[in-house]
Order: sequence, then structure tokens, then C-alpha cells
Amino acid sequence: MKGLILLAALAVLHAQGQVHPDLGADGVWLPRPVADLALNANVPFQDWARLKFQENHAKKQNDLDVRCLPPGIPRINVMARPFAIVETPSRILFVYEGGGHVWRQVWMDGRAHPKDPNPNWLGHSIGHWEGDALVVDSVGFNDRTWLDDAGHPHTEQLHVIEKYTRTSPLTMKYEVTIDDPGAYTRPWTSSSSLSFRPGERLAEDICLDKISK
Amino acid sequence: MRASFLLSAAGLALASLFAQPPAANPPPAAKPSLAKDPGPFFPGFGVEQDQGPKPVAGPAPHLPDGRPDFGGNGAWYPGFNGNLAETTWKGVKSADKHVDVPFLPWTLQTFNERVENRAKDDPEAKCLPVGVPRFMFDPYPFQMIQTRNQVVFVFEGDNYLWRIVNIEPAGTHPKNLPPTWLGDAVGHYEGDTLVVDVTGFNGLAWLDQAGHATSDKLHLTERYTRTDSLTLKYEVTIDDPGAYSKPWTAYNTVRWRPGMELMENICQEDEKSSIHMIGK
Repeated sequence: MKGLILLAALAVLHAQGQVHPDLGADGVWLPRPVADLALNANVPFQDWARLKFQENHAKKQNDLDVRCLPPGIPRINVMARPFAIVETPSRILFVYEGGGHVWRQVWMDGRAHPKDPNPNWLGHSIGHWEGDALVVDSVGFNDRTWLDDAGHPHTEQLHVIEKYTRTSPLTMKYEVTIDDPGAYTRPWTSSSSLSFRPGERLAEDICLDKISK
Repeated sequence: MRASFLLSAAGLALASLFAQPPAANPPPAAKPSLAKDPGPFFPGFGVEQDQGPKPVAGPAPHLPDGRPDFGGNGAWYPGFNGNLAETTWKGVKSADKHVDVPFLPWTLQTFNERVENRAKDDPEAKCLPVGVPRFMFDPYPFQMIQTRNQVVFVFEGDNYLWRIVNIEPAGTHPKNLPPTWLGDAVGHYEGDTLVVDVTGFNGLAWLDQAGHATSDKLHLTERYTRTDSLTLKYEVTIDDPGAYSKPWTAYNTVRWRPGMELMENICQEDEKSSIHMIGK
């Protein structure tokens, strides 16, 4: 029943001349978790990155996520924690329950990336619509996050291209391209999906509550 | 510069040691007095830097459907307001109005301890959320994004946090709320004012940097009014029978910074400072 209502809502949005589908204003998105973005395929590691991956995989204490630092992109979108997407004319906000209660902004106002971005945990993100797909281009990362739970490393040269396609009222296809010439010999891709949870809300989960002295 | 600052700090510490009154047992009935403003964090603290030409305020904007518009190209900046019951604190402007806070004995004692031990246990210094209403008194910029049924607050400060206010009829908090830092917030518009009812707190947050304590019985009524394009009047009524003998209200004026965008700020990145906060 809810699905039918949503389908109607999608149809209305298109009918009103809006050029893209609604991103789910009345609920939250729950990712299908992907622990290893390689998805059983061969990742085009550079030698050091393969060694680093093996080390990370063996030494989970390297994982800054357990010290309540932001999981970074794309990892935060392939963890089993819900998030909300809030759309405004100039930017789209991603509001995360997990990963330290952080938020992320994707600029939709046509701006370019800054020439020399300050390296940070969530990067600098700009987006545009390609038909029904939201395409988000991000650079400006520090090199301290992992790409996934498995421990795929990256450098400050990381460039992530994400594609969000709402294929049905309750489903979003999530595709990601990892382009990091500092760690991989060529770009590689992975994918997951997000399930829409109509009417649900995000809980407060302060990671530091669990490790504070 | 740094050496001379440390020396003068040591001098101050010595002076305060000698300035203490001789130990005497006060009569048991004496009500402890309120801790005084400890003064600026450091010489020159809070001196306004020249921000260039001042922007000129226009009328408060509205959304097409008539709701007040709390957004635009820019961000809100509360400045440092260390004590929400005093008009100056740490030597600079603080809340808009003085309040005689109706302390319970334990909150007066806790407040005095926190002032006197230099806020060494401030959760904010450990990168925990400052909570509500302190977000409206602390020097971190924020933005308010209004959708049809929510107001999303995004903050630069602490660990780059967010807060969601659901626009619903009053009294619709879920039952059996888990205790949290930010509480469960339900809002509605009254003319040009956003009124937010918040409950479900964990009692761990400080109301301000000075150290006004809370309990898990805390219930807040917040009122946000954009009186002109550059000004947000904030009022918060603190109703906490676990901490204060009656409700009391604090006020702040938050300024709009045109064109300001929020930067990612992750307090927890390389956090090495809080263990060195030993008080005195």
C-alpha cells in the first residue's frame, strides 16, 4: 500500500515537470551492506596498496572507524546503518545515523571542485542529474579512511564517482567508481543497493559514548 | 610570546593560591554563593577581529508558503556565550539577559565546581556533543534547512553533527524515548516563530561552557525568530525538575554571516588534549 502511494508520488513529481525522481523525503535509506567492495573480482592494486590492504585486513586496529572517526566515502554508504537524503535547490545533504552522527553536503549549484581542497574525511562533493540518476563526484579526501570494512586503502588522490538511481519506490541502485592513481592502476567499480524505509527516522548514536573514558 | 603567556598564567595561579581565604568551617546553614566569572581564557580573548564592512539588514525573509525562512546563502554564528545566565562571561558578551538561576543544591555545587576546576570535565572537550541548547551559545556556525516536515540543523562544530526537528503537532514525542544528547525534537510554527519542544535527554550535557548541569528530566521549549535578515532571536525555557526548582529562560541573539559555508570539522581527529585538562 505504502509502495503504491510512493509510486504515485514519483509519478506526480515527474508530472509536475520536475526533471528527476524524489530522493525520499519521508523516510530513510538502509544500505545493503558490502563488507568488501571487490565483490570477488580482481582489484587493480598497485603493489604497495595490495600490501596495505593485506595489512589492514589482518590488523583491524588500523581501522579508524572503531575510534569514531568518519568512515569516509563510499564506505559510509555501504554500511548497515540508515541515512536520510535532504534535498534543497543548491545542495543535497546526506544525514547519517552511523559513522559518528556526521552529515555530508553535495553541491548542486554548478560549482567546480576547489583547486586545492583541504583534505578531509568526507571530501568535497559536487553533483548533477543524468536522467533519473544523481551523479556525485568527490575529491579532496585525506588518506586515513578505508574504502570498505575489508580495508581497501586509498591516497589523497582519491576521486569517487557515485551514481544513485531510484529504480523503484523502495529501491535505489548505488554504483561507485574508485579512481585513485596513487593506489590502483586503473579505476574500478562496485555496487550495492539502498532500501527505502518509509516513515522511519534516524536514531541518535554517538560513537564516542562507547569509547569515552 | 608563548613563554610569557605561560609565565603570566603561572603568576596568576600563584596569586590565586595566596588570595584564597584562610580555611574556616562555614556555618552549616550558609548557602554556598555562586562562583564568579573566572575572567578571559587568555589576555585579549574575544577581541573582535575586523570583519570588513558590516552587512546591512533587510526584512526577515519568508518561504513562498509564508513560513519564516531560516536559511539562505550564509550561516548562523552564535559567537562564544559561555554562560547562558550572565550577560558577560570570560570577559566577553554572553547571553542577552541575566537570570537568577533557580538552582537545586546539587546543581549549584556542580556549577561552582565546574567553574572553579576550569571545566576540566566538559564533554565538549572530549568531542562529545554539546547538546541543546548549548549549540545556540557556542562559537560554531550552523545552518537550518527547512523541508515540508522537518527542520534539519547542520553544525560545523563538535564532530560535524546534525539535528532534526520534526514539524508535528505538539505532544507527539514517541513513548519510551531512549536517553540522548540532543533529545527528541518536535516543532511547529507560530507566526514567524519556530517553536521546538525537546525531551528525552541523557542528563550528561552541560547547558553552557560555564557548566550549568542538566538531569534526564530536562524538557526544553525553544523559540527561534528571525527578526531581520541578519538576526535570529533565540529563547529557551529550561524546565528540569531534577536540576532546578522552577523553569527558567535564557536568551541569545545569533548573527547571520552572509556567504558563509560550513567546513568539515572533526573534533575527534588527533584528539590528544582532553587528558591534559587537569583543572586546578
